[in-house]
Amino acid sequence: MSTSTGAGTGTSTAPTASTIETTAAHGNLTDRVKAMQSVWILGVLVVIVAVFGVMSPSTFLTTGNLTNIAQNVSIWAVLAVGMTFVIITSGIDLSVGSVLVVSSVVSAKVMESMGDSGWTTALVGLALAVVVGIFWGALNGFLVARAKVPPLIVTLGTLSVALGVAQILTGGLDIRSAPQVLQDNIGYGRLAGIPAITIIALVVVVLGGIMLHRTRFGRYTYAIGSNETSARRVGINVDRKLVQIYALSGFLAGIAGILSLAQYGTTTIAGQSLTNLNVIAAVVIGGTSIFGGQGSMFGSMVGLFIPAVLQSGFVIVGVSPYWQTVAVGSILITAVYVDQHRRAAAVRGG
Amino acid sequence: MRSNLRFTAAGLGAALALAACSTGAPSSDSSGGSSGGGNDNKNIAFVQGVAGDEFYITMQCGIEAKAKELGYTVTTQGPQKFDPTLQKPIVDSVTASKPAALLVAPTDVQAMQAPLQQAAAAGIKVVLVDTTVNDPSFAVSEISSDNVGGGKAAFDAIKQAKPSGGKVLVISTDPGVSTVDARVKGFEDAAKADSAFNYLGVQYSHNDPATAANLVSSALQKDPDIVGIFATNLFSAEGSATGVRQAGAKDLTIVGFDAGPNQIKALEDGTVQALVAQQPGTIGTDGVEQAVAALTGGSVEKKIQTGFTIITKDNLSGEGGQAAYKSTC
Repeated sequence: MSTSTGAGTGTSTAPTASTIETTAAHGNLTDRVKAMQSVWILGVLVVIVAVFGVMSPSTFLTTGNLTNIAQNVSIWAVLAVGMTFVIITSGIDLSVGSVLVVSSVVSAKVMESMGDSGWTTALVGLALAVVVGIFWGALNGFLVARAKVPPLIVTLGTLSVALGVAQILTGGLDIRSAPQVLQDNIGYGRLAGIPAITIIALVVVVLGGIMLHRTRFGRYTYAIGSNETSARRVGINVDRKLVQIYALSGFLAGIAGILSLAQYGTTTIAGQSLTNLNVIAAVVIGGTSIFGGQGSMFGSMVGLFIPAVLQSGFVIVGVSPYWQTVAVGSILITAVYVDQHRRAAAVRGG
Repeated sequence: MRSNLRFTAAGLGAALALAACSTGAPSSDSSGGSSGGGNDNKNIAFVQGVAGDEFYITMQCGIEAKAKELGYTVTTQGPQKFDPTLQKPIVDSVTASKPAALLVAPTDVQAMQAPLQQAAAAGIKVVLVDTTVNDPSFAVSEISSDNVGGGKAAFDAIKQAKPSGGKVLVISTDPGVSTVDARVKGFEDAAKADSAFNYLGVQYSHNDPATAANLVSSALQKDPDIVGIFATNLFSAEGSATGVRQAGAKDLTIVGFDAGPNQIKALEDGTVQALVAQQPGTIGTDGVEQAVAALTGGSVEKKIQTGFTIITKDNLSGEGGQAAYKSTC
């Protein structure tokens, strides 16, 4: 009801507020049904884990393997936080992988020239990566909000441009000199048995979740995605918010860039080619509507784990790699189908 | 809504079951034999550089044949793209599944270092096939083609076809892939040493045939008198052949590296004039031999280099044809 059909009825921000999955106001049917999407998808994840757990208990359900899965989704999780915001505004950000690469390239280049491999260098690198990320994100936002170019086109463009800039800066050669402290402490360091990179990602996710679900900024994000015109009429500075939201996505891509350097020890210029699509798939599987106005941070995280767990499980059980992509694609379509179906039913019923 | 849910669950279950059947190699959960002697663990894992590439499929054939002979089972996995960010999670999961040995083609010399070291630390015998990493000391053996020699062989093939010399170009995949860099270096050194030839440098196709085609047709716009192109791998060669056709260029010698079915066809059609074929099957069988030697306490060779076969139209029915790669075992 609060998706694009709301144009005629849009009188206030009331429909917007109702889409936020907080503990407040779960009284009416619509809210209960919506809250179920992440629950439903969490159920799917639990089933998948259980199936693999039964098939190979001694290898799949080990702390080592589960830690590996968590570690391997960490970088995507950071990107997914920004992507959730962007998709809730009914936008899309295809450029995250390239922005990640260009951020890590700029920061690796400067860190390399500093020659030192201590924490000071690493902090300078982090600051630079974040600045570069914000630059590309803000550029995306500006082009979407002010120049009125569709987000799909804008970010498809910056996907190429940012990657091209990274290749120009490096001549296409990966820089392989990330400071040792980064690799030792962040990339492969552990705190109480949990990978440091996962803890960082978790902090980012929790902060992102609070920002989305508990702050005015988050409510405005939903408002813009639910009905941009209404949002403008009630006095939200939509253009500025959009620039900020895309800049947030870029900022997180910058952080992901430094995390990627820490984890891989190289700038992976040729890599990250499917990162954007994997992150978008995760966010959408998690119940965030591509039409905007709907979604939750929790759902995105569950959506992120489904492909990761499937891949790990399939490898351990020994299923051909081709089936992994088939399974993930099928779940993506099924998740969105069920979501749409339920929403249509909710509109009829409510 | 309920029926939807049930339907989905059933579908998912069916897909899983089907998939499990299709490979026919469910892991036998040997809980004990994770390290040490572990003679009861007969599982060998093979992680390809990229899934669906005939080079790795031929290697897989070699691995499976040799493993069967020695009484081991093989599970093969590969990322969708030649990309360390996609390969690392696969290697991590393979490590968790505790095979006795892991044959792997690392997709980046730096990025795959730590994950593979971790596999070795978990007691898995790691054999690096085709590509390598910065510090391969953890691996029991490294088996690859002598790629510098392969690059030189490619130059010789061009020189043979165009003895008077001219401009030569290299179409490669991505910088940073150890084997491909070595091929380019071998070609570059040989081309620069020969004053009759003008080396135009290397262009990177990112392992995408369409990009390679664009690069070649653009290069021909700039330098219509290019006499020879060396395409360093399968996709680059396929794309280069397309690019030459698009530009309508004639009398140009393309030497491909690798010999997939499409390239053999291109050779038959006369689009490509020579192919430098590696011996992926041999790399695979050698890899299994070394892994098993390491497992059973036999003597292990730290580094093995395999040779090449130059395939032209003339030897296609004989020696050259046998060196062609397979798309199924």
